[in-house]
Amino acid sequence: MGIPEIEDAGCLLCFGYNGADSHPIVARRIVRGRQKGMKIICADPRVTETARISDIHLQLKGGSNLALVNAIANVIWNEGLADEQFIREHTKGFDEFLKVIEKYTPEYAEPITHIPAETIREAARMYATTKPAMILYGMGVCQFTQAVDVVKGLANLALMTGNFGGPSMGIGPVRGQNNVQGACDMGALPNSYPGYQNVTDPAARAKFEKAWGVSLPGEVGCPITHVPHRILHEKDEKKRIHAYYIFGEDPAQSDPDLAEVREALDKCDFVVMQDIYMNKTGLYADVILPAAAWGENEGVYTCADRGFQRVRKLVEPEGDVLPDWKIIAEISTAMGYPMNYKNTEEIWNELIELCPSFKGATYEKIEKYGCVQWPCRDKSMEDKGTPYLHKNGVFATADHKALFYGTDWHPPVELENDEYPMTLSTVREVGHYSVRTMTGNCRTLRNLEDEPGWVQMNTGDCQRMGLKKGELVKILSKRGYCITRCLPTDRVKPGATYMTYQWWIGACNELTTAKLDPISNTPEYKYCACRVEKIEDQEWAERHVEELYDDIRAQMGIDPGKGAEA
Amino acid sequence: MNYFVKGNPDLCIGCRTCMIGCVVAHEGKHIFEVDPDSYDFNPRLHVVRTVRLSVPVQCKHCENPACMAVCPVGAISTKDHCVVIDENKCMGCKSCMDACPFGAINMTEKKGRVQADGSLQKTANKCDLCYGLPGGPACVRVCPTEALSLVTEEELEGAMERKRAEAARNAYRETHPQE
Amino acid sequence: MKKELGCFVVGDSTKCTGCKACELACFTVHNRKSNHVGKTTGTVTVPVVPRLFLTKFEEGCMPIQCKHCEDAPCLNACTKGAISRVDHQVIVDAEKCIGCKDCMQACPFGAIALLPYAKDGRLVAQPMADEPKVFASKCDLCAGIEGGPACVRVCPHQALRLVDPEAEREEKNIKAAEALLLTKNWR
Repeated sequence: MGIPEIEDAGCLLCFGYNGADSHPIVARRIVRGRQKGMKIICADPRVTETARISDIHLQLKGGSNLALVNAIANVIWNEGLADEQFIREHTKGFDEFLKVIEKYTPEYAEPITHIPAETIREAARMYATTKPAMILYGMGVCQFTQAVDVVKGLANLALMTGNFGGPSMGIGPVRGQNNVQGACDMGALPNSYPGYQNVTDPAARAKFEKAWGVSLPGEVGCPITHVPHRILHEKDEKKRIHAYYIFGEDPAQSDPDLAEVREALDKCDFVVMQDIYMNKTGLYADVILPAAAWGENEGVYTCADRGFQRVRKLVEPEGDVLPDWKIIAEISTAMGYPMNYKNTEEIWNELIELCPSFKGATYEKIEKYGCVQWPCRDKSMEDKGTPYLHKNGVFATADHKALFYGTDWHPPVELENDEYPMTLSTVREVGHYSVRTMTGNCRTLRNLEDEPGWVQMNTGDCQRMGLKKGELVKILSKRGYCITRCLPTDRVKPGATYMTYQWWIGACNELTTAKLDPISNTPEYKYCACRVEKIEDQEWAERHVEELYDDIRAQMGIDPGKGAEA
Repeated sequence: MNYFVKGNPDLCIGCRTCMIGCVVAHEGKHIFEVDPDSYDFNPRLHVVRTVRLSVPVQCKHCENPACMAVCPVGAISTKDHCVVIDENKCMGCKSCMDACPFGAINMTEKKGRVQADGSLQKTANKCDLCYGLPGGPACVRVCPTEALSLVTEEELEGAMERKRAEAARNAYRETHPQE
Repeated sequence: MKKELGCFVVGDSTKCTGCKACELACFTVHNRKSNHVGKTTGTVTVPVVPRLFLTKFEEGCMPIQCKHCEDAPCLNACTKGAISRVDHQVIVDAEKCIGCKDCMQACPFGAIALLPYAKDGRLVAQPMADEPKVFASKCDLCAGIEGGPACVRVCPHQALRLVDPEAEREEKNIKAAEALLLTKNWR
C-alpha cells in the first residue's frame, strides 16, 4: 500500500495514530477519504482529529491495546466474518491463534479497555465487512512494552479478513520520525546491514567485507536504548561503552528517564554530537560537529510506504557546516579508512549494488517516477518497484504463507498507585517536530507554542484540583519532575495526562520510564504513573520558568533576549 | 454584500497553519528576519478546539456590523465587500470586542507603538480578508486540507437559488406524482 | 497565564429602569472609608457624586462608565501623568490631578467628571483659593473593594455586567465554531 491509497479505502482502522498532529499530510488523505465516504474506526484514548470525524471511536484505556485487538479478532471469528478461504490458502498457525483469542470476548475486554462490549462488536463488524479495509498504526502502538505483539495482532486482523496484497488495504506503520524507514533501510539498526541483510549471516557479512575491504564483527550491536545501561552498569569491561557518537538525535531530550541519560552522557569518556543547532545533548559533548540542515542537503528519504524519494538542495550551506555525508567521510578518512565520494549518488550506487532489494532503484528512476517503492530489483525502467509487498496474498516467507501470531495482553509496567495516581503519555503537537533543533528555532511556530509547554488534563480533574488553563503546575513521577502549563480539555479521559516531549523546561521525559519492548527495544513512552501538583505561588513559578530557560540558553551560548536562532 | 471566509469543521485538522499564514501575509517580508523584535504575531483568526470540533473562527463581515455601530471614534468601516478597522483611529476601548457575537475581534500590541505612560498600545485586530494583499485571503491558500473558503455574494446567492429551485421541484413532484 | 486586557462594566439599556441604585452604590463604596459614609443618609456629609452616570436618552436609559481603553485617550492626554495603568485598569491618581480637563475632552464616552475632592467627610480646599480642590473621577472598577464592582452587585435588574473581554471572546469563539457545524453544508 502507498500513502496516497489511504483515501480510497472503504474502511480505515486508525489505531494509536494521530495523523493531524504527527503527519498533517497523511491526515489530509484521511480527511479526503472521509469526504469520499470512507468509514473510519479510531482507536485512541484521546479525542483526536481522526476520532472526531470517525464513525466509531474506540476510546480505550491507555495500555489496553492488545486486549482490544484480540477482542476484535474474537468477534470477527465468532460472528463468521472471517475470510476463511484466504486463511486456508495464504496463512498458517490460525488454530493456535484461535486458542489465544478464544477468551477475548468483548465482555472480557470491556473492563480492561473501558469500551462497551457492543461498541467493540460494531467496530469488528464494520472492519470485517467493509472492503477494502486498511489499518494505520502509530506510536500509540509502538511505544509500549507490549508493542510488537500488538503490531502482529493488527496484522492478524488484516490476515483473517483477507485484507492483504491489494490497493487500499493491508497494515501501514506510520513511522514516528522523518525517514525512520530510511534509517532502517540503510542498516542503522544494531542487527542488519543495509537492505535488511543480517549481520549474523556469514554470506552477507562476507559480501560487505569484500566490498568495503575490511573485516566486520559478526555479532549484533547495541540498541540505542541500551546505551545508558552499557555506559553506567556494564560489568564486563570489554562491553562497556566509552565513546558515543550521536547525530541528528537528542537523547538528553527525547529518550526516557532523562536523569539516567544525563548521568550516562556525563560518565561517558567521549561524546560527539553532530546536529544543525545546539541541543541538550550538546551540553555533554566533547566535540560538536555542525551539520547542514535538510534544505542544504541532498539524498534519498524513504517514506513509511517503502517509497524512495529524492530530496534536493534548496540553498547552499553557509558558515562552517557540512552535509552529514561529508562529515562522516572526513571522520572516516581521518580514522584511516579513506572515503572519497564526490556526491550522494556515488554513495547510493555503492549501496544499491550491495542490496538486492534496492538494486533497481537508481537515481534516474527515482527522479523519473518521483517515488520507487522497494523491493525494486531490476535497473530497467520497466521495474517501477513494488506497491504491494504481499501481492495477491503471496508473502515473503519461505512457503509464501503468512503466520498468525497470537499473544495474551499484559498491562503496562508502571501502573497508577496511591503516590502517583494518574498516567502520563507522551504525544506530539503539529507545530513542533521532534526535538527543538528544527521547529523550536522557527519564530512563528514558537509564537504559537513555546516553553514550558502544556500538560493536557481532563476538565473534571482540573476542576477538582482547582487548576485553570495556563496555570503552571508541577508534574512528577518516580524518576523526576518538571514544570509545565495546565491545559484542561475534555478530549482526554479522567486520570490521564498527555505531554509533548520537545520542551526544555516542560520536559516530560524527566518522568517517563525506560522499560522496553523486548523485541523492538522501544521504550514505554505511552504509559507511566505520575502526579500533578498545584503551585500556589504562580508569580514565583513564572519567574522560575524564565530563569530555567535563561539558564539553559546561557549554557548553550545563546544570547539572552534573542531568539534561539540568534 | 460583504465577502467572508468560513471554515469547515469536517475538514479542519486543527493544525493552525491558517494562523501562521495570516501572520505571514500581514507581516510581509519581516517574517524572515532574524531579530524576533522585528515583527508582530497577531493572527486575525483563531482555531477553536472542543470535544466535537476543530475549526478556525474569524470575522463574518456582517452587513450591519455591531462592531461598527458601537465604535465611538469611527475606526470601523466597510469598503470593497469588507469590514475593516483603521488601527490608527482605534483607541482600544474594546466596545467592538464586546459587541461582536463571534469573538472575532481581539486586542493586540504592535511593537514600537506606546501610550503616554510607556506601556504598549493595544488596538482592535480582526480579519480584513487580506485587504490590499495579492492572492486573496492567505488562510484559504495555505490550509493543507482545504478547510477554508472565501464566500462571495455570487456564490451565496447561487447556492440559495439552487436550493430554492430544488425545494420547488420537490414540492412539484409531491403534488404531481404521476409525472 | 497573565491577564492581558483591562476589564470593564457595561450597562444594558433593555433591562435598565433608571433607578440609580448603581450610582448610589458607587458613591457609597468609594466613600465608606475615606469619608465615613455609612448605611444611612445621615452619615453623608460630602456631595453625592458617583463614578458612573445613569444616562437618559430618547429611547431609554442606561449607566455609562469607563471602558478602560487599551490605548486610552485620557491617559495619553494627561500631561501631569496622573492617569496610569494599574493591573491593566486605567486609574486616576486624585492627589496628582490638577483638574486640567484634558482627559474629559479626550474621552469619547463622557465617562469622566470633575468631582470635589473630600477627605474625612470634609471637602479639601485648594491652597490660595476658597474653592474646593477637584479631580477627574471615573470608574476604577472598585479597585481594592471587596466583592468587585458595586454597581453590578446592587442592580435589581441585572442590567450591569462585568466584562472580562478575552474570556468572553473565547466563549463566543466556541459558539461561533459550533454554528459552523450547522452551516457547513451551505452549498
